[in-house]
Amino acid sequence: MLWYYVDLSWRSFKRTPLVSALMVIAIAIGIGITMTTLSVYHMMSADPIPSKSEQLFALQLQTMDEGEGWFTKDDIPYQLTFKDAQRLMTDAKGDAQAAMVRTGFAVHLGDESNAPKLMDARATGRDFFSMFNAQFIHGGPWSQSDEDNAVNKVVLERSLSEELFGETNPVGKTVFLDKFLFEVVGVIEPVTEHTKYYDLNNGSFKRPERVFYPFSLVKELEIGTWGNSNGWKREMVTTFKQRLDSEIVWIQYWVQLDSPESKANYEQYLKGYIQEQQKIGRFARKEPKYSLRDVNQWMEYNEVVSEDNKILVLLSFMFLAVCLANILGLLLAKFMRRAPEVGVRRALGASKTQVFFQHLVEVGLLGLFGGLLGILLAQLCLWGVRESYSYYSALAKMDFLMLASAPIIAIVACILAGLLPAWQVCRTNPAYYLKTQ
Amino acid sequence: MIKMNNINKVYQTEMVQTHALRDFNLEVEQGEFIAVTGPSGSGKTTFLNIAGMLEPFSSGTYELDGIDVGKLNDNQRADLRNQKIGFIFQGFNLIPDLNLYENVEVPLRYRGIKSAERRKRIERCLELVGLGARAKHLPQQLSGGQQQRVAIARALAGEPRFLLADEPTGNLDSLMARQVMEILEEINREGATIVMVTHDPELARRAPRNIQVVDGQLADFSLYQGAPNKEQTAGDIAARAAEA
Repeated sequence: MLWYYVDLSWRSFKRTPLVSALMVIAIAIGIGITMTTLSVYHMMSADPIPSKSEQLFALQLQTMDEGEGWFTKDDIPYQLTFKDAQRLMTDAKGDAQAAMVRTGFAVHLGDESNAPKLMDARATGRDFFSMFNAQFIHGGPWSQSDEDNAVNKVVLERSLSEELFGETNPVGKTVFLDKFLFEVVGVIEPVTEHTKYYDLNNGSFKRPERVFYPFSLVKELEIGTWGNSNGWKREMVTTFKQRLDSEIVWIQYWVQLDSPESKANYEQYLKGYIQEQQKIGRFARKEPKYSLRDVNQWMEYNEVVSEDNKILVLLSFMFLAVCLANILGLLLAKFMRRAPEVGVRRALGASKTQVFFQHLVEVGLLGLFGGLLGILLAQLCLWGVRESYSYYSALAKMDFLMLASAPIIAIVACILAGLLPAWQVCRTNPAYYLKTQ
Repeated sequence: MIKMNNINKVYQTEMVQTHALRDFNLEVEQGEFIAVTGPSGSGKTTFLNIAGMLEPFSSGTYELDGIDVGKLNDNQRADLRNQKIGFIFQGFNLIPDLNLYENVEVPLRYRGIKSAERRKRIERCLELVGLGARAKHLPQQLSGGQQQRVAIARALAGEPRFLLADEPTGNLDSLMARQVMEILEEINREGATIVMVTHDPELARRAPRNIQVVDGQLADFSLYQGAPNKEQTAGDIAARAAEA
């Protein structure tokens, strides 16, 4: 019977093309707006590394003295001091770990072929690439020896590699970061697509860095941060060495813990480390806290998706509801006009259930057409968002899930709107219409 | 075939109670052709709607082919209607968007009959009413008489045991009316039970059994001349009523 109902629905559309088109457009506008906000929300809140998000943990340490507070929800700084990060890296008690900091350089080849480009760079450990599933196109990460000995090695993102060296494999070639000469050891695809979850300090959706080099070089070359630095302690910091030894927090730290046992062991290690540091006067509080948050917890903790975004999604759904309310009125009028035909069908053996489903199929089809048109409209809106705000360039997209959801949401919404009209028409008294027709 | 005992139908509004049928009793045997006459507003159509299970009755019992209709739910009534009853209406009630083939197909669709079988039945029924060649025409392309023939074909396609006709010739001229009546008689000869509501004494006279509905009740034939007789016609009854 489904195909029969589809056929009847199609005839109904042809019989009232204007009203049908009006309803499809109303649904399309509602769905277009809703899917635009929902797509952005979906991209913002999506798990950026689903295969490992439960094994990667952002570490926080409550280094401040008793009585000192922080501006975070749990009173623990977002970042670590350099000395803590360096010590944790040396101990390497996780399954993998990466201290990291956002820096920046003028990148050039030392000749006149390319103008220097000022850009972000990330100092990090070699585990960074395996931890965050970086895909190497050429070469690989620098060696442990390079890291331990602070050798000038660099991994470039593909787009930068192509800008500097064209399509050729640049591994073994050299590039200048400011005045320092680095050897290229690898070329990778962008580390993240949209959310820069490994460092949420300077914009959650900024594009990832295109230059990566060993964390040990920060100390060796005295490389300053381009990210955030926060302190709680009054201390003299005039030299780079003083900064490294200070209680200023400016390093992000991630650890990979592949199993609950690994995590338990690591927590035990952290407690021991804190007790050890307390003996030398640090972590001077009764119960210094630490925190290990996995990727999704970290994004939630940092409020990657703001309340504003959620309200926007809610408003768009309310707009869809307004569109549906209009459709409900049109459907009611359209279906009740058809009551005489329904009377005939009931007299000829159609049950109320059959009449009800016939009309639900019709509204479902309306939803399908509206949903498909809504996708086109959403694409147009998302294109407008991308063109207007570069910040949203990676976010204002519809992935497959959103594409598939649009017609489903449209169909379900239309069926909900069509329940009352379909119910009304199926419970009309056929005898009345048969006589008056 | 049909057994109605003390059927009452009351239409209730806030202010008024209207008794459309009162203690209505009727038995119809398989293969009968009955003409139902009576003044306007007497309850003929209400009787027909209840017989066709298009309307519920307020009290009494109604058995169709031994099935107690009062105990059925809406879906069961629709199913029974589809299986056993064919309708012919004064206004034809063809669906304007569907061509003749598709109009005749409607009851078969709801019965779940397969496509090949549907085609066979539709073609046969349209041939029977002389419209086989016009299967692809829309109802509005036909005359009133032709449209009623399509309605008859539609009623017959489900091979019903019980045909309810509500003034089937009411909108037709006398020639067309005669043609439609001949078709109904032919159908009856083939075994279908027909109950036909009509205002036309001539048509009523052609039916082997006549009943009259007055004020929601079957007229008491004994008022006129002895016990009810299957050979009586509406014309006879009307004449005797006038004499009385």
